[in-house]
Amino acid sequence: MIAVSALGAAAIGATLALFFVANARLRSANTASARSATVSAAAFDVRAAVVEIDQALQGVVEQYTPSSLAQWRHASRSWEKPAAALERAAAASNLQQQRRAHALRDEIRSYIDDYGEPVVGIARVSPSAVRSSDANTEGAIRLDQIIGDTDAVARNSAVIAANRSADAGRLADQATIAGIVALILTPVLLILLGLWLARVVADPLRQAVAAASEVAAGNFDVRLNDRRRDEFGELAHVFNAMTDSLAVSRSELIERADSLERSERHKSELISMVSHEVRTPLASVLGFTRLLLERNLPEADRQRYLEIVDAEATRLAALVSDFLDARLIEEGRFSLRREPFDLRSLVIEQAEVTFGHDESHDLELELPDEPLRIDGDRARLAQVVGNVLSNAVKYSPDGGTITVGATEDHGHARVWVADEGTGIPPEHRGQLFQPFYRGDAAAAGIPGTGLGLAVSRRIVEAHDGRIGFDPLDRGTRFWFDLPLEAAANGRR
Amino acid sequence: MAARTLRPLILICDDELPLRELIKAVLGDRYRYVEAEDVDQAEAVLRGSKPEAIVLDVMLPGKSGLEFLSELRARRRNKEIPVVVVSAWQSADDQRTALSAGADAFVGKPFDPKDLASVVEALIAA
Repeated sequence: MIAVSALGAAAIGATLALFFVANARLRSANTASARSATVSAAAFDVRAAVVEIDQALQGVVEQYTPSSLAQWRHASRSWEKPAAALERAAAASNLQQQRRAHALRDEIRSYIDDYGEPVVGIARVSPSAVRSSDANTEGAIRLDQIIGDTDAVARNSAVIAANRSADAGRLADQATIAGIVALILTPVLLILLGLWLARVVADPLRQAVAAASEVAAGNFDVRLNDRRRDEFGELAHVFNAMTDSLAVSRSELIERADSLERSERHKSELISMVSHEVRTPLASVLGFTRLLLERNLPEADRQRYLEIVDAEATRLAALVSDFLDARLIEEGRFSLRREPFDLRSLVIEQAEVTFGHDESHDLELELPDEPLRIDGDRARLAQVVGNVLSNAVKYSPDGGTITVGATEDHGHARVWVADEGTGIPPEHRGQLFQPFYRGDAAAAGIPGTGLGLAVSRRIVEAHDGRIGFDPLDRGTRFWFDLPLEAAANGRR
Repeated sequence: MAARTLRPLILICDDELPLRELIKAVLGDRYRYVEAEDVDQAEAVLRGSKPEAIVLDVMLPGKSGLEFLSELRARRRNKEIPVVVVSAWQSADDQRTALSAGADAFVGKPFDPKDLASVVEALIAA
């Protein structure tokens, strides 16, 4: 579009220039025709002077008298002025004309000096001789020549003027056509320019305003076309960078809010879970205490109820200390009491504790024949095994087989527990070891604090081990690796 | 009167032995009791006898007490038996859920022995 505008401007400029040139030509043609008139007038004067010279000379030849001689003297001088005027006028036309006029003067002078004066001289001494036809013939020829040359100067001037005038006329015609074209073209170009300006300036501005409104309304996905190489391109670039960074900070904020919300939800779930876990034994303690206080009970019943109160209060105390313990471990505030022991015995012991009262699951043990000696905190690791086992039971409510195994692998002992339970939905897998994270467990009514796996991971990692899980076709296999005693010693 | 000759039978369904003991002690010897540790045992009891009331815990191993309650209310047989839900989950939401599942009364844990006794008494008298 810039090219088109430039073209239009050039066309208008060219038209104006054409007008200027045509005007100048017209003026020059006018001057030329004025000059031509001057030249013609001068040529006419020169012609008259030459005729006068001729007549004066004829007068002298026919009758040599003081009067005719005086006429000749006058005529042979009076041509100078018109001839000079002609030369001046011709000089204004061009060099050629000037030369011609100049040559004409020489010719006239030569006619007077080389022909006229000798004829006059002869006429004084022998009028008869001078009347011979020879001399007269030469004079006539020279005179014709002079008159012809004079006419030529005048004619040339007229031709030059006519040419100039024709040129000027043509140019004027062309300028007129160009002017008409420009007259039509200019509004068209102005309209095109307006449209182009609208596209180039107004449209991007409108788009920017629309995009800014979108952003104001909270849509940070809006982008401007930033491929233009002008200020609008720059604006679009900066605008896009702004929306990018807005989108990023918003998603960061949303993520933080989500994570805060999740952690809040976990905490409130934890609180309700803890209060539930506490209320159950508390119900027995309070209920039996009331009964003992309010009713007159037989001694045997009193004894039995007191025993229940004692057991439930003890359970409550254990629950609270477990919870505090879990908090301490989860926050990393615990120390290991290491001792060398066989991991197999720990696995068997915990399996017995867990499955001693569980009749709905089948237990399978897959243990190696050789001992798996490790150097670790037996009580803490018992907590880990117990947690993984009780998870396997809790999260396979429909029963099935729970397989507990241990193997040796590249200097590590691996303990694993596979269940045939509900499995872990993919969306929960990443957060499983997060404190208080319980996935859908609370909604499903599965008791727990969401601390078990978080605590287990702390304990295993404190032993330089790793803990993880593999989803199975049916159920889940949890595992943890611990360095074997030799390997553990070797690293110290 | 026949009712004098046979005390009303109450089904107590709770996985916690101390709580079953407590409920029995609270309600006293005006009633006869049959106990269930989970929903399966409760179903077995219902197949063999018709209790006058059920005292039902929510958090049971396997199927939850409320699931059992909803299923019971959807049946033709035994659907009229009054049920008292006793639960440590006792927020307003939990109570609403229990009542909409078909509970006739809700008692939170821990409870005052007198409250539970009067609730059960009222349900059986009704």
